[in-house]
Amino acid sequence: MKIRVLILACSLLLSACSLAPVKPWDRNILAQQKMQLVADPLEIYLDEHTYFSKEASSGGQGVGGGGCGCN
Amino acid sequence: MQLKQTSPRNIRRPLAAATCSLLTGVSHAGGLIASGNNWKIDSALMLYAEKDRVQLAEGVLQVGKEIDDDEFVNVRMVADVLTGASPNGAIPIDSAQTFTRPSGEGTYSAAANKTPLDTSFRDLRGALNVEWDKPLSTYQRGIFSASLSSEQDYLSTGIAATFAQDLNQRNTTLTFGLSYNRDSVMPQGGVPVGLSTMPPFPATKTTTGSSKTKNVAEALFGITQVISRQSLMQLNYSWGKSNGYLTDPYKILSVLDSNLSGDLRASNPYVFEKRPDSRAYQSLYWKGVHQFANENVLNLSYRYFWDDWGIQSHTVDVRYRFDFKAHHYLQPHLRYYQQGKADFYRQVLIDGEETTLAAASADYRLGEFVTRTIGLKYGYEFKNGAEINFRMEVITQKGKDQAADAVGKLQNQQLFPNNEAYLLQAGVSLDSDILMKVLRGLFNY
Amino acid sequence: MPRLVRRADYFVGQFAAMASDCEVLIDTDNQALAQSICICAVSEVTRLEHKYSRYRDDNILYRINQGGRMEVDEETARLLDYAQQLHTLSDGLFDVTSGVLRRAWHFDGSDRLPSAEQVEALLPLIGWHKVYWHKPEIHLAAGMEIDFGGIGKEYAADRAVLAVNALLAEQTNHYDQQTPVLVNLGGDLAINGPRRNGAGWQVAFDNGDKQTEGFSLQQGGVATSGDSHRYLQKDGVRYSHVLDPRSGWPVKHAPATVTVVANSCTDAGMLSTLALLHGAEAEAFLRGQGVPYWVRTEC
Repeated sequence: MKIRVLILACSLLLSACSLAPVKPWDRNILAQQKMQLVADPLEIYLDEHTYFSKEASSGGQGVGGGGCGCN
Repeated sequence: MQLKQTSPRNIRRPLAAATCSLLTGVSHAGGLIASGNNWKIDSALMLYAEKDRVQLAEGVLQVGKEIDDDEFVNVRMVADVLTGASPNGAIPIDSAQTFTRPSGEGTYSAAANKTPLDTSFRDLRGALNVEWDKPLSTYQRGIFSASLSSEQDYLSTGIAATFAQDLNQRNTTLTFGLSYNRDSVMPQGGVPVGLSTMPPFPATKTTTGSSKTKNVAEALFGITQVISRQSLMQLNYSWGKSNGYLTDPYKILSVLDSNLSGDLRASNPYVFEKRPDSRAYQSLYWKGVHQFANENVLNLSYRYFWDDWGIQSHTVDVRYRFDFKAHHYLQPHLRYYQQGKADFYRQVLIDGEETTLAAASADYRLGEFVTRTIGLKYGYEFKNGAEINFRMEVITQKGKDQAADAVGKLQNQQLFPNNEAYLLQAGVSLDSDILMKVLRGLFNY
Repeated sequence: MPRLVRRADYFVGQFAAMASDCEVLIDTDNQALAQSICICAVSEVTRLEHKYSRYRDDNILYRINQGGRMEVDEETARLLDYAQQLHTLSDGLFDVTSGVLRRAWHFDGSDRLPSAEQVEALLPLIGWHKVYWHKPEIHLAAGMEIDFGGIGKEYAADRAVLAVNALLAEQTNHYDQQTPVLVNLGGDLAINGPRRNGAGWQVAFDNGDKQTEGFSLQQGGVATSGDSHRYLQKDGVRYSHVLDPRSGWPVKHAPATVTVVANSCTDAGMLSTLALLHGAEAEAFLRGQGVPYWVRTEC
């Protein structure tokens, strides 16, 4: 399972490298709030906090943000 | 000596504002210069309720400000209050059960064939996170943060730093993050000795002091890649290590009679759980964001997580935002989480095992289960940039009973405490000057 | 109708409007698209020329200048608001009512200066502050006139680019790459972005002695104000055609021409016009604005 996931991830990245770069003046869509990796930070914070206290896995998106005694 | 020369006034900014309203018909009266000086305010209130169990109300307020060119400070304040009942780890049996409260001051009980729930849960939490996001050079950013979270029986402090390097005309970003947390737990009634028995009330548990600590260090390597004008993706690898007291001081296990009939042993049938004192975990996280020609946005992520406790999990999360005319949007959300159990997860122990095992826990969160989430969010964006949104989610957790633990008549019991929860959230985002205008309007001054 | 010609990797539509040679450059390989963009830009320019030309008697400008209280349309209201804002910003240097001075001044290269009395007689008819303007109502006193000569061409160039952008937004998917367009109205340029290859538009101008200077325009607009062929000369003193609306007399030591690059063609036009009105202080004024500029002072 681990190996299969790694291969999938690598092939996605390789396909990205062969792309033509998007120029600064073509970034109007990427600049929209809804196109950000974390479009609504509070929603993601509350989700992560909720699932942190209900499941054994956490993190992955970034570091920091603080812990709690809920797990 | 040079005389001070009166240089002609710079009119470029007001001129640009006037020309902008001439050309587009949109007035920018004073706006071009004033913006950037305001605080951006995001707030949300979440109500989380489990059927017959825990209820949580959580408020979050986040304020951010650009303090210099491209340099930001964000402060997040959180307050929550938790009440209700939580599974204590013991299994339901065909007769009523009585447990000593963690404080040692009284008992609570569970009816026959009902999952035992500890009703003593009541906690207030306050948390603060301060983040400083700063350009280090033309293509480098640093994000530094410190956090604090305080409850009656828990204190968490942490620091984190993330460095981001832009490459390839800012189409590729490499990130490297480090964090360190130091937490203390001060359980009610002291720290129980792991796998020691919970004596019947009014006797009290054997303790090893009144508080314990744990340290958590994490590192993250990430790459974010712009794929096209309307899509980008991110891949992160994280590694983390926790050391110290990782046990839940309130969780217990039921101990069965060695005759394997499925009955509890005759005396002291409950022992406190005990987990290993270190845990190393890793995860791979992938996320893709894509905007379609109709301006709808798909946000898809997958995480594979594994640790040296034997837990593996897969998480798939999909959010799809439908944009409607007049600034409305609807965003359905689906999440699927599947987790395998920890090596030391046991739903029950057999008499005598508590003296031979190095670690054992019946905490359902270390078991084998699936979480499914279905939700819907509605948002409205005002012309001035403010936004209000509401969402509702239904979360179900369904676990798998371990064949080896369901001995004798326990085969007729639902050992895993399945769960159903509802989440409601309302959020408001706006600029501080809009807030001031609204307040002035409300109080008529 | 404009004439559309294919060049190496773009199309050019040529036409005459606002007493100038005009062109639209369209950076595409698609002839049909180029054709529709060209028609769109030209019709916007001709619409504005028709609407605000001071040589016609069938447009709104003519009706305003007949005097009397009247209501104006939204676009004219925006132009009048702009005229008012610029009058304030320039401390009265920019004034859309100053056109009546043409009755006394004829810059034909001769020595026929008007008399002081002639100029003096016109001054009561000049001054934006004497105009009644409460959107959408305007009322000009008898004998007063307004004209948009100082901003008309630059405004038309910007509007033509906006009209093309609106057409493109309608006709193409929003994530298609924008078709780069340049509108040139007799040297006043507006563009909607850099060229397809990401480079700027190469702009060259004749600086008088046949030497051609060039620069690359990535965004915004360019405008040139001044005319070295329009002047009067008497007793060894050269009188430029740049008139100070407050005195009614030419601005002293004004440069022959000023070219400015700014956020839009209209901005560039206003800055170059105001620079000329600053006379000997033209360069100091331009330096204070932090924009690229070229000043030519030769006779």
